[in-house]
Amino acid sequence: MASLQRTRRTVADATFTGLCWAATGVALVALAAILWSLLVQGIGGINLNVFTMSTPAQGSTGGLLNAIVGSIIMCSVAMVFATFIGVLAGTWLSEFGGNTPFAETVRFLNDILLSAPSVLIGLFIWVLLVNPFHGFSALAGSVSLAIIAVPIITRTTEDVLKLQPPALREAGVALGTPLWTTIRTILWKSAGSGILTGILLAFARISGETAPLLFTALGNQFFSWDLTKPMASLPVVIFNYALSADDGWQHLAWAGALIIAVAVLTINIVARVLGREQRRS
Amino acid sequence: MNAAAEIETYEQFAAPLAPETVKLETKNLDFFYGKHRALFSVSLQVVEKGVTALIGPSGCGKSTLLRVMNRMYGLYPGQRAEGQVILDGQNILDRKVDVATLRSRVGMVFQKPTPFPMSIYDNVAFGVKLYENLSKADMDNRIEESLTKAALWDEVKDKLNLSGLGLSGGQQQRLCVARGIAVKPEVLLLDEPTSALDPRSSAKLEETIVQLKKDYTIVIVTHNLQQATRVSDNTGFMFLGRLIEFGPTPELFSTPRAKRTADYIGGRFG
Repeated sequence: MASLQRTRRTVADATFTGLCWAATGVALVALAAILWSLLVQGIGGINLNVFTMSTPAQGSTGGLLNAIVGSIIMCSVAMVFATFIGVLAGTWLSEFGGNTPFAETVRFLNDILLSAPSVLIGLFIWVLLVNPFHGFSALAGSVSLAIIAVPIITRTTEDVLKLQPPALREAGVALGTPLWTTIRTILWKSAGSGILTGILLAFARISGETAPLLFTALGNQFFSWDLTKPMASLPVVIFNYALSADDGWQHLAWAGALIIAVAVLTINIVARVLGREQRRS
Repeated sequence: MNAAAEIETYEQFAAPLAPETVKLETKNLDFFYGKHRALFSVSLQVVEKGVTALIGPSGCGKSTLLRVMNRMYGLYPGQRAEGQVILDGQNILDRKVDVATLRSRVGMVFQKPTPFPMSIYDNVAFGVKLYENLSKADMDNRIEESLTKAALWDEVKDKLNLSGLGLSGGQQQRLCVARGIAVKPEVLLLDEPTSALDPRSSAKLEETIVQLKKDYTIVIVTHNLQQATRVSDNTGFMFLGRLIEFGPTPELFSTPRAKRTADYIGGRFG
């Protein structure tokens, strides 16, 4: 009887462990397949032109310079907005909001925003900032990217600040430091690398977003610094070129995809390393 | 009979101090965590430039009482104090009293060491910078003076620029003491400062406390009765939110007047 039970347990244990391995395997194989085809197809498209020339007309040679610079500009502007709002909102939730109904509501809405379909955010900004001004603009693109980044930063900031020992806050205040100064000079410092990790992850997330940019920044065949005009971005160029029949465009789409993947991977690795430092201290 | 009713049957004993020696005093102090009442009409006198120890079983309200003295409870909504806490003739529970200034006069060291994520030097300078605009040389002197008083100077004088987080637990706690006294408070509140330390570090911190009472008024909460006898001049015994007995430390430990006190220091409960 006892041995039968033991056999059952052994079988159940082996089955469950096996399923876990299999699931992990499927995920890893899919990831490896994506990365592999990206590398194989993308590496051929990478050359100096990609970084020095703007997107070409169909059939002519060109690069992705305008799209790369556009992505960097729009993501950077978005991150400035999003970091400012997200860090302050997260700090409010952690330090002042407590468990009041208002704070709980903010937290709930933030979680909804966190998982909102990005195409909806794009449409929302189109209604708010594109349609009334009769024109697509890089600024509208940045705002929609910022809306995607804010809830991520808010959430991580709140979580990391809550991880700080309450005694640290009390110790700062006990010296006669006003609470706000204590938060700025001690808590933010102590939680710094964790908050930075959240910011970097949000940056990685928005750098690959396509849908919100389609309705806002639109895209631009030419190089542009002007935030009030349409601007090219890597995800939108990939989206357009990958669907075309033109061989040159398709190569550029693969090259662009590889560039984004490498950038996102790099940001994630940096975020990981910073996160590890946070845990160690 | 429940515990709260039972305690009414115990007598409370307090030997009043000479008024001119009293630095800090609570009068009929009640404290509430939301609906839960944690202190019942506590009247305690703290002698100037002496050490007052608060002892009693866990949950008796010693730490709560300490946290009223610098209004630390104000950080948490729902906690409130009623009655008076008089520091140099002024009721500090008065809303008009600026809480940041109060806390710069009444410093606090916590159970667990709480070094800030910065260098040893900056840890000690942190509070000073808020209230005083010292020259580099004056600040250096202040840092050395504070670390010396906290018995840490010799161990850290060559690594002031290293992170405070890299020190041992005992050193971190003495760093916190140095940080607390660097702002030149009048009163220093110590909330079980040695409970997270090994015996050697504890002994060192106790020596520090005895040295510090030359300049500061100290209130220490402790679970360690021997520690109370070693460092304090007066001791208050608390039980279920009440101050049961208060008097000079040697007398309270040798001839306690309340039965509860005798039972507690005799190790019969707690």
